[in-house]
Amino acid sequence: MSSLPKQNWNLSNNNSSRAESKRNIASWALTAPVLFWLIVFFLIPYLIVIIYSFLTPDIYDVKFEFSLDAYRQAFSADYLNTFYHSFSLAILTTLLCLLLGFPVAYYIARAKDKLKNTLLVLIIIPFWTNLIIRIFSWRIFLAYNGVLNDVLINMGIITKPLEIMRTDLAVTLVMVYVYLPYMILPLYSVLEKLDFTLLHAAMDLGANEVKAFFRITLPLSIEGIFAGSLLVFIPALGAYLIPQLVGNQKTLYLGQVITYKIKNIPRNWPMASALSLTLLFFVAVLLILLYALYRHNKSRRIA
Amino acid sequence: MKRITASRFYKGFNLTAFSLVMTFLYVPIVILVIFSFNDAKIITGWRGFTWKYYAQLWQNDIIKQAFRNTMLIAVLSTLVSTVFGILTALGLQNKKFSGRKLISALIYVPLVIPDILMGVSLALLFNFTRVNTGMFTVLIAHITFCISYTVIVINSRLEGFDYSLVEAAMDLGAKPGYIFWRIKFPLMLPGIIAAALLAFTLSIDDFIITFFTSGRGFDTLPIYVEGTIRHGTITTINSLSTLMIGFTLFLVVITKRMRKVLISAL
Amino acid sequence: MEEIRIEHLSKDFDGFVAVDDVSLTINNGELFSFLGPSGCGKTTLLRMIAGFEAPSKGRIVIGNIDITDIPPYKRQVNTIFQNYSLFPHMTVFDNVAFGLRIRKTPKPEIKDRVGEMLALVKMEDQAFRYPDQLSGGMKQRIAIARALINKPKVLLLDEPLAALDLKLRQHMLIELMNIHDAVGITFIYVTHDQGEAMSISDRVALMNHGKIVQEGPPDDIYERPQSIFSAYFIGETNLITGEVIAIEDGFMQLKCPDGNGGSFEIGSTFHFAQVLGRELTVSLRPEKIAISRSKPRVQDDVNMLRGTIEDILYLGTHTQYIVRVGALRFRVFSQHKRVYFDDKALDWEEAVWLFWHNSDSWLIDEIQDNETSATEPPDGGVNHYQRSTKRPTKV
Repeated sequence: MSSLPKQNWNLSNNNSSRAESKRNIASWALTAPVLFWLIVFFLIPYLIVIIYSFLTPDIYDVKFEFSLDAYRQAFSADYLNTFYHSFSLAILTTLLCLLLGFPVAYYIARAKDKLKNTLLVLIIIPFWTNLIIRIFSWRIFLAYNGVLNDVLINMGIITKPLEIMRTDLAVTLVMVYVYLPYMILPLYSVLEKLDFTLLHAAMDLGANEVKAFFRITLPLSIEGIFAGSLLVFIPALGAYLIPQLVGNQKTLYLGQVITYKIKNIPRNWPMASALSLTLLFFVAVLLILLYALYRHNKSRRIA
Repeated sequence: MKRITASRFYKGFNLTAFSLVMTFLYVPIVILVIFSFNDAKIITGWRGFTWKYYAQLWQNDIIKQAFRNTMLIAVLSTLVSTVFGILTALGLQNKKFSGRKLISALIYVPLVIPDILMGVSLALLFNFTRVNTGMFTVLIAHITFCISYTVIVINSRLEGFDYSLVEAAMDLGAKPGYIFWRIKFPLMLPGIIAAALLAFTLSIDDFIITFFTSGRGFDTLPIYVEGTIRHGTITTINSLSTLMIGFTLFLVVITKRMRKVLISAL
Repeated sequence: MEEIRIEHLSKDFDGFVAVDDVSLTINNGELFSFLGPSGCGKTTLLRMIAGFEAPSKGRIVIGNIDITDIPPYKRQVNTIFQNYSLFPHMTVFDNVAFGLRIRKTPKPEIKDRVGEMLALVKMEDQAFRYPDQLSGGMKQRIAIARALINKPKVLLLDEPLAALDLKLRQHMLIELMNIHDAVGITFIYVTHDQGEAMSISDRVALMNHGKIVQEGPPDDIYERPQSIFSAYFIGETNLITGEVIAIEDGFMQLKCPDGNGGSFEIGSTFHFAQVLGRELTVSLRPEKIAISRSKPRVQDDVNMLRGTIEDILYLGTHTQYIVRVGALRFRVFSQHKRVYFDDKALDWEEAVWLFWHNSDSWLIDEIQDNETSATEPPDGGVNHYQRSTKRPTKV
């Protein structure tokens, strides 16, 4: 009798570790298709991008001759200017989205439950509408002979049509338009969980609305601000379609330049690769910085 | 008294901002819809109501082909990526899984990289391997960018899954297989549907990655629309866009309906 | 006999010992409770009986079948989960019928038996509603019906009333006892609420740190706690430490320092040998102490102490007095019975007499160290007012 428990212990311990390794194998089997898929169609393509960035361009293709020309060009003044344009556009878009998105998210988060769903759907509809259609609608709206100019002239506010289409202003406007829901939704999901009695407590303790906002609401919604900013900033960096359809050819953005190098003849695939990798590098640095900031913020709050 | 007026101002400010943003979001779309019925070749001025651009749409074989292509790609990539999503999410359920970090990283990284880069990298892959671009390559690209979303949506649903329900079923005598089909799967279903809908919309919506991976002769609607806006007549694009907006509304409504049904069942 | 024997059962979670070498026997048809603070291992023990956790050591035997390695779906044991765990996508009927359908029971029989079960828990008219349309108490009933329909030999209840509010909890407690009487099977009940365990159980096992601290009928644990933990966890108590200076006629005389340099002597029963000369602690329940302004007529075998009222808490059914004796504080419960109160009510800072019978205190074979707070009362058994004005301690 006394030896029995010990025996049992060994047995069940064996059992549980065997069950564990069995479950581990099952997990590998279940995730294998996606793992395989992402290695072949996500990781390997990037390896090819790296290889191509060191090759020599050909009119339609690449020559397998080692060259650093692509990088040399990518860091020349012309292209650095492109990077500068893209980054300032992305930053401006993110800030404007945050500025416009925050009150909207706040308003929805504080609305009555019944109204909340309707308001959210109102935000989601443009979000789900095809990107090209949304851009196209702005072309109609802003065109030289478009609706906006028509209305303004008829109201007597202007006499000559405004030339907004094909300006940087139009690009910024449509960027904000397209990416605004990406900012509102994560902000909303954080603000919705925010305990609004904290605001009452702050006001009870003598903070006015503005102070309560900066001391309570803003710090507590920092995660939503991070998430929303990332969701806007990163795609904005690589935007192609918006500058292409409402911008001009004087200010080229990174997405356009990369696309031209691949699609236009003569092709320059090494250049496109080098620019892509540089963009990837900047994004990676940014993400690491943000993550560090986020961790710092979190650990400080816990401490 | 002062406090009430102050918070009223605060609320009023938010309401104003909200209304402004709503106007901003909807005015261009509404104008587009109205102008799709405008009997004019150019976009300015109202020249009377007409259905004729919808009729032209119906007669345009290129558009019809683009529509078929879009749907084919959307349905197939939704199917594949959703099945992948279910499998992967189930595999990730195991918290002690030794590949958990690797797979999570592979799932999340594509989401934080500008999508143009995925387009470029796939374009180079297909160039390097000398694969003829067309339906097949577009399908591969769409599945690749949908996977991350389906896995994350289904996984988040499983994270919130109350494991004690499985224990309860086991306690009542149900074996693992029965538990999967009668308990786990039905409760995962809303997540699966949400994932599939998301994949479907993303696939229909995508321009840039398709642009890099489709060859000549295989156009999806976004590719066709972009080309036409740049080069061709845009009157049919108005009506086409209106139909696509209608389709979006339809999707939003059915998901809302469905959510209600699903929530009441949950 | 279908008794449950638990033999040297242990559970180790990566080095954390949740259940530590527990052995006990639960009789057939008994309503047995595991009581203890959160983290004491009671739920892990229950989950091992249900089969959700594999023991690291030991066996579980029902009747003469060793069920240790039998998967949960083959055990004749059913569980009521803390959050009920009703299947949200199934109606009440389908939830209750779940076990029968798995056993491929014929349809008409399912209908009859589900009907019977719903009648037993008084939920006949709710059969086609979904769990999220039900209140907490209703969900509770459905969970019970869903478990009992499988005719288990043992029903396990894991904190079944924790999610209900007070009134409903008291009501469901009686309901549970009625159901237990009606079905006659063994119930194993896990709770951290001493009131629930005391009122419902035939026997209680009090657990702490993975071990059973004391086991027995509720009154036994209450009246005869074997450790300071038992005395504190169940009910409230005064612990008085002193040196045994004399033994006579089954009573002992305890000399207790009062914390101010002085001391007082009290008499108490004792129930184990070799106490003379040792330092020991007695537990004295607050309701055993009488309080009075005037000195009681001296009786044999009665302890009397002079003290000052420091605090009065009116609690409806009784009043709690905190009385200072030297530097020690005594907690005293006194009921409002006019027969005892010939004059006006006691007041703050009033000098009073405390008195109790020698045999109302209970000797514990542990020393309550008054200098440190090493034996803080465990969580769960502590009321808010107990925290601030504890046992007799030095000021």
